[in-house]
Amino acid sequence: MTKKLLHKTSTVYILFSVILLIVSAPLFYYVTERLYIEETDETLILHKYEFLKYSLPTLTTAEIPNWNKYNRNNKIEPFKNSGNDTIFYNSYYDTLDAETEPYRELNASILIEGYPYTYSARINLVETEDLMKSIAILFLVIISLLLVGLFVITKRLSINLWKPFYKTLSQIEKFEIDKSNQPIFIETNIEEFNRLNKSIEKLIYKNTSIYNTQREFVENAAHELQTPLAVFQAKIDNLIQNSDFTQEQYKMLSSLNDSVSRLNRLNKNLLLLSKMENDIYNEKQTINLNEAIEKHFDFFTEQAKAKNLIIKTEMKESVAVKSNPALAEILISNLFLNAIRHNVNDGQVLVTLSNHSLTFSNTGQSQTLVADKLFIRFSKSNPSEQGNGLGLAIIKKIADLNNWKISYSFANNFHSFSVAF
Amino acid sequence: MKLLLIEDEQELANSIKTYLTGNSFVCELVDNAKTAIDKISIYDYDCILLDLMLPDGNGFEILKELKRQNKTEGVIIISAKETLETRIEGFNLGADDYLTKPFHLSELFVRIQALIRRKNFKGNNLVAFNEIEIDLLSKTVKVNTKKIDITKKEIDLLLYLIGNENRVLSKSAIAEHLSGDMADMLDNQDFVYAHIKNLKNKLKEACCNDYIKTVYGLGYKWQND
Repeated sequence: MTKKLLHKTSTVYILFSVILLIVSAPLFYYVTERLYIEETDETLILHKYEFLKYSLPTLTTAEIPNWNKYNRNNKIEPFKNSGNDTIFYNSYYDTLDAETEPYRELNASILIEGYPYTYSARINLVETEDLMKSIAILFLVIISLLLVGLFVITKRLSINLWKPFYKTLSQIEKFEIDKSNQPIFIETNIEEFNRLNKSIEKLIYKNTSIYNTQREFVENAAHELQTPLAVFQAKIDNLIQNSDFTQEQYKMLSSLNDSVSRLNRLNKNLLLLSKMENDIYNEKQTINLNEAIEKHFDFFTEQAKAKNLIIKTEMKESVAVKSNPALAEILISNLFLNAIRHNVNDGQVLVTLSNHSLTFSNTGQSQTLVADKLFIRFSKSNPSEQGNGLGLAIIKKIADLNNWKISYSFANNFHSFSVAF
Repeated sequence: MKLLLIEDEQELANSIKTYLTGNSFVCELVDNAKTAIDKISIYDYDCILLDLMLPDGNGFEILKELKRQNKTEGVIIISAKETLETRIEGFNLGADDYLTKPFHLSELFVRIQALIRRKNFKGNNLVAFNEIEIDLLSKTVKVNTKKIDITKKEIDLLLYLIGNENRVLSKSAIAEHLSGDMADMLDNQDFVYAHIKNLKNKLKEACCNDYIKTVYGLGYKWQND
């Protein structure tokens, strides 16, 4: 499945943001907490040193109850053998809030007048936890905003950045080598796109000129062949006037004559194809297809007689299309002759004309033809058959020029060529 | 009949001359525009065959020159150029017919005859051959002054055969003549046999001599024994 370029980058951005948020939230919480506990512990140790330095030297055992009375967070308690400077979490019941609150507590052994006591200092963690939570939330909000902002900006920027690319793309999509509409690329201020445009321009220019050279070559070759062919034809026409040929020589002359005729037809059809490619037949008129079919109907009937074919027509009246009249006639004649040429003896030809299509169906060989090769020049489905392999290519070309659709189907032993307009 | 053939392709010119000469036709060859213009200013011709691409100029110049000198010679353009524009320009400049190369000499010959008939006998279009009489206007054929039932295509074939009297006509030449514009698409010549057979029968029924001879393997010939 293919997706749009922007879709791809957006997906990556969103994925990155979500992962970052999921990972960073607990990590951030954990790190902040650690930092804060370290800070609290340092404060506790500082308090202890202050106590040792300023209070302890003058403190007496008798003053301990008083000390404890006026100090809520620094107390002197009976010796608990807690070792030196143990810091731990503890909970105390707060009578003011009527709930148990977490504390960080430091216990240290001290000597007052030679008796051992335990110094205990504590700091309430409630406020700090709230603070920490607030910081974490704030942080997360900022990160989220940052990511959303980045995402939106990139998306907008991408749309703008890629605009020349999409323009180039649509130009290339519209380009057809056999039409004269050359794509025009607009200069951008992005080096890569300019490079892209320049290389495509170069590519198109090169290909078009190769295509034109080839086209001209076919046309010139076909054109140049006409004079030698004319000489060839004229010489044979004169040669056969001699009356002293043997039967063998007559046969040879006959085959020579047929080959020249075939060569002539081939050459004329090639010329016709290249003329169509040169857009010589571009002016269109409204044509009555019924008239165009009936115009040469006698001729086709005559041709069909040799194979004893039955021609049936089912034609809607006055079907009009837009086309070059000469080309429309060539199309009809080619289709008609095709249906006759590839028919079997005592077969049938069915001509169906509706408002939107013209179909020639004929009996013929019992297998279906290879459809994708049919309309290509010189790709004859049956090499032994007569015909120069250009008829269907010409039909296709005419259909293309008029934006008609040509299709082939095989059903009930009938081969059908249909032109939809 | 005097013809002027303006054609620079020597081989083709000679072949045309060989085919046309005899039967009261005289053919003069010219291979460039300058000599051609000199010739037409001095002599009168019954028909001019004109190639468009000449070494020293365009054939259209000769047409213009004819017009300028008020010459009324019939002109048949014989050219490798086959575009509609060239044809139209040729006709506009006064050409009477246009034949694209390559062509059969028999085709050229009947076109010359048709042109000369149109030019010389203004309206009185009768072609006669022994007991056969063809009226081109009413499209009727009489054998021994008796009208026979004949199709347009058969009259066309008859004229083509008579026009090329004593010349062998290949089946492909006849097929191309009869199928006209369709010739380029047609690769079957079987219908020629059917037409010849029908024409032969119709002439035979009218007690006409059998002038149509079959030339083994090649085609047919109209022969006056």
